[in-house]
Formats: sequence, structure tokens, C-alpha cells
Amino acid sequence: MAYGKISGRRGQLELTFNWVYVLIAGTVILLFFISLVARQKQVSEERLSGDVVEVMSSILAGAGVSEKTKNFIDASGLADYTLYFSCQDGVGEFGIKDRPARTQNSIDPLFAPREVHSPQIVTWSLPYSMPFKVIDFLMVIPANVKYYLVGNDADFVNEFVNATEGIKRTYVPNLQQIEPEANLQVRLIDTDGSVIPHSQVPVQLQSFDDTEVSAVVFTGINQVDFYQKQGSSWQKLNQKLLRIVSLPGEKNAAKYGAIFSADDQIYRCNMGKALNRLEKLMEVYGGKDIASGLIGGKLQKLSEHYQGDISSDCRGYLEQNNENTVGALSRLSSNVAACRLQPQSCSELDLIEAAEKLKQMNDKLRVSCSASLY
Amino acid sequence: MKSKKKMNRKGQMQMTETIAILFIFFILLMFGVIFYFRYQKAAFQEKEEELLGQRAMESTLKALFMPELICSRGEAEPEDNCFDVLKLNSSSETMQHYLDDYYFEIFSYATITVEEVYPENKTWILYDKPKPDFTRKEPTFFVVTLRDELAGKNQPHYGLGYVAVTVYS
Repeated sequence: MAYGKISGRRGQLELTFNWVYVLIAGTVILLFFISLVARQKQVSEERLSGDVVEVMSSILAGAGVSEKTKNFIDASGLADYTLYFSCQDGVGEFGIKDRPARTQNSIDPLFAPREVHSPQIVTWSLPYSMPFKVIDFLMVIPANVKYYLVGNDADFVNEFVNATEGIKRTYVPNLQQIEPEANLQVRLIDTDGSVIPHSQVPVQLQSFDDTEVSAVVFTGINQVDFYQKQGSSWQKLNQKLLRIVSLPGEKNAAKYGAIFSADDQIYRCNMGKALNRLEKLMEVYGGKDIASGLIGGKLQKLSEHYQGDISSDCRGYLEQNNENTVGALSRLSSNVAACRLQPQSCSELDLIEAAEKLKQMNDKLRVSCSASLY
Repeated sequence: MKSKKKMNRKGQMQMTETIAILFIFFILLMFGVIFYFRYQKAAFQEKEEELLGQRAMESTLKALFMPELICSRGEAEPEDNCFDVLKLNSSSETMQHYLDDYYFEIFSYATITVEEVYPENKTWILYDKPKPDFTRKEPTFFVVTLRDELAGKNQPHYGLGYVAVTVYS
């Protein structure tokens, strides 16, 4: 009887122990699988954002080399993500906001808003020449931004409207005629600086968030200013004078770059990348000592070829005349070097003038000689 | 006494049973882990190959459109798939000079050469940065025309060649 009681109590104890054991083991196994699922979720999200950045990099690389093309990218699959773009100290970066996946690039100029959260993105590549082709500028244009052109530069208004088919843009004679649409950010383009600097933010845009309304103003000689809405007034973003370093002409890549840049910092940084490439190209065309007048590169080959041809105009256009190609390239090279080394004391107008002079010399070579510099 | 012995034997059997189950469980777990890692390794290698192929294509594309190499025509559109022979020598020098601090970001570990096959046989090594201890390489070739503005009489002379872009991983 006593043994039976002991045996019963032991059985009860064993049964309770088994249940407790099963409960603990079950919980541990359950926790293991829960942590596995959580980890996998995190890994797949990181992988997805990595894939998105990789695909975007490929698209941007492809768009960067296919000149003057517009690509309409369906980004509706990225509805949950916000892409961000930045550029500092010559290094551009883009990625998905609040995610580890990102990519950096110090070569390709990419003009974009700071953040993009749009079902469609337009990428547009434009060649930048100074005066020879330097690099392709890539504009990233979200479909949820509407561009309003104001001001009196009718030629540019026409050019812009014709060139930007597929992008939301319209010309308005004055700010009162702006009719903002829901869910669309606004960028005003003042083509001659006659509107924005002298006016308040239009009433119909005052209810918008400050970050959703901005303006770019072209004024003076090749000058550009960036403005951001601050309540009912405009706040000028660039404290220093900012010039568009480009030659006049249609589809001026540097001017379009300003239109599609978020602010002066992104613009300046990306133009720095272009100047860096221009410096390398200068060496290809004129050799590494061209700034001090010693020729090399393609120019040296041309010079050697026309050396014996005394009667030819080509020799004169190359190096004998008062105004010649060697001198023009040398001047451009020293201006570019100065702008790269000391951006504060850089004279962009001198740089533009030197490029214009080189263009004239090259045109003369093209007309009179079998070979030209570019 | 007998009953105690019986219970001990029963306990021993249960213990052996538990150990056997645990043993089989761990064996199965080990199989699972090995299978998973083998699969991961194969998937990783596949992805690596895919990325290398993609990089080879992108590098070739970038080389074909490089302003340092293309046949420009003043302000007009440059000629397609054409390299300027007069620029090739100086481009080679410039690209090697700025290899680490500029062009490496464009081409990474790669070798880019231009081979002329007509009218002469010349080779220009534009960029040469093979990866130390590389395990895989992917060469791509693209036919290009080679324009020499000084070789023809009053008009440029065109030769034929190809650009070879080899990427390493």
C-alpha cells in the first residue's frame, strides 16, 4: 500500500515534469523559429533594398552613356521606399532612406532632388561640352514634381517645353495663374530673374509644406540662384554667387542640371565632378603640361603633322597666329586648374571665355584643315 | 526488489531511446545545415558570375562612349563605335596616370586594350588593373572603327579593330 502511494506520487511528479519539460522545450523551439523568421525577414528586406540600389545603379549607368535619351522608369514597386540623393565633397551618394543599401560615385554627375518618392521616375541624359564633350549629365526627375516656367526668356521657355515632353511642366505668365495639383511638388523656374526675387510665395502654394515648393532663378550673366519656400516668403539657399559654367546653345546641360538639382550644394558638387573630368580630358588633348604652354597629346600629333606644311593655314591656326589653338587650350587648362584648386577665387567667366575661344579655333581648323582638335 | 529492477531497466531503455532520438535529430539537423550551406554557396557563385557578366557589359559600354576615346565631330554627335587613333596614345598615358585615383572607380579591376587589325596590327593598352589573385575573368570584345585624321588625304582614314575589355573577380 505504502509502495503503491510512493509509486503514484512518483508517477504524478514524472508526469508534471514531462509537461514542464515539453513546455520549456516547445517554447525554446518556438523562439528559435520566431527568431529565424525575424532574421530572414530582415535579411530579405536588406537584400531587396540592395537589389533596388543595384538595379537603379544599372539603370543610371545605362542612362548615363546613352546620350540625350529620356527613360521612363516605373517605380510603383518601390512605393514603400524613399530614394535619397546627396553629394558632398565631390562624392555623390544614393540609396534607400533608412536602409543600409547605398552606393557612392565620384565620377558621374547626377542632378536630382534630395528625396524621391514617386511611382514613376524619368532619367534624362544630356552631354556636357566645354567646348569638347566632357561627360553626360544625368537628370533624375520624379513624376510627382510639376515645373512652372515664369519670366520673359521666351526662347528658353519654348526650348524647355519642347525638350521636356513627358515631364509635367507648364508656362504661366504670372504667379497668380499657378494651379497646384494635389500630391504634386512644385518647382518654379524663373527664366530671367524678373519674378521670384521680387515676390512672395503665391497664395495658392502657401498651404504646401515648405519642402514641397522650391524655385530656381536664372539671372545676370550665367548666374543661378536656388530658393526654398519658407512660410509665405522665399529663402535664398546659395549665399555665394553661383554661375553656370557652359557655352551658350540649345539644351545647355549645365543649365538643365540646375533646374533638376535640389539645391546649390548638389549642383556645385556635381559640376565639380564635371570639371574634374574636363581636367583629365585636357591632358588627352593637350598633354599634361599644356597649362604652361608645352604641348603633348593629340595637339602634339597635329603640330608634328603640320610642321612641314609651311604654306598651310593649319599651322597658323594651331600655333603660329596670334590667336591659336595651343594658346586657347593652354588658357582653358590653367582656368580649369585654378577653378579646381581654388573654387573661391575661380573666375567662371574667364573659363567660359577660354572655352569659347577654343571652340572658335577648332571651327577654323575644321573648315581649313583635314584634322581638328575635337 | 524485482519491481525496482524492472523499473531501472525501463528507465535505461527510455534513456537509450531518448539518446537515439536526439542522435537522429542532430544527424538530420546536420544534413539540413550542410544542404543549406551547399545551396547558398552555389547560389552565391551563380550571383557572382551574373554580376561579373553584367560588369563586363557595363565596362564595355562605358569604354565605347568615353570622351577620351570617341571620334568627335566638333559640336555634332560623335561617330558611333569609333575611336580616334590620335587620342589613343595620350588617353592610354592619362588613364594609366590617373588609374588609382580616378579611372579605377569607372572600370574597377579590368584590362582594356584596343587592337588594330586593319591596315596594321597595333595594340594600345588603355587600362590595366588586374585583380591580384583573381579567381574568375570575363573577356568581352567589340568591333570598332579606328579613325586617323592624319593618315588620309584631306579626309580621315578609317581602320578596323576591336576593343577587348576583361573584368576580374
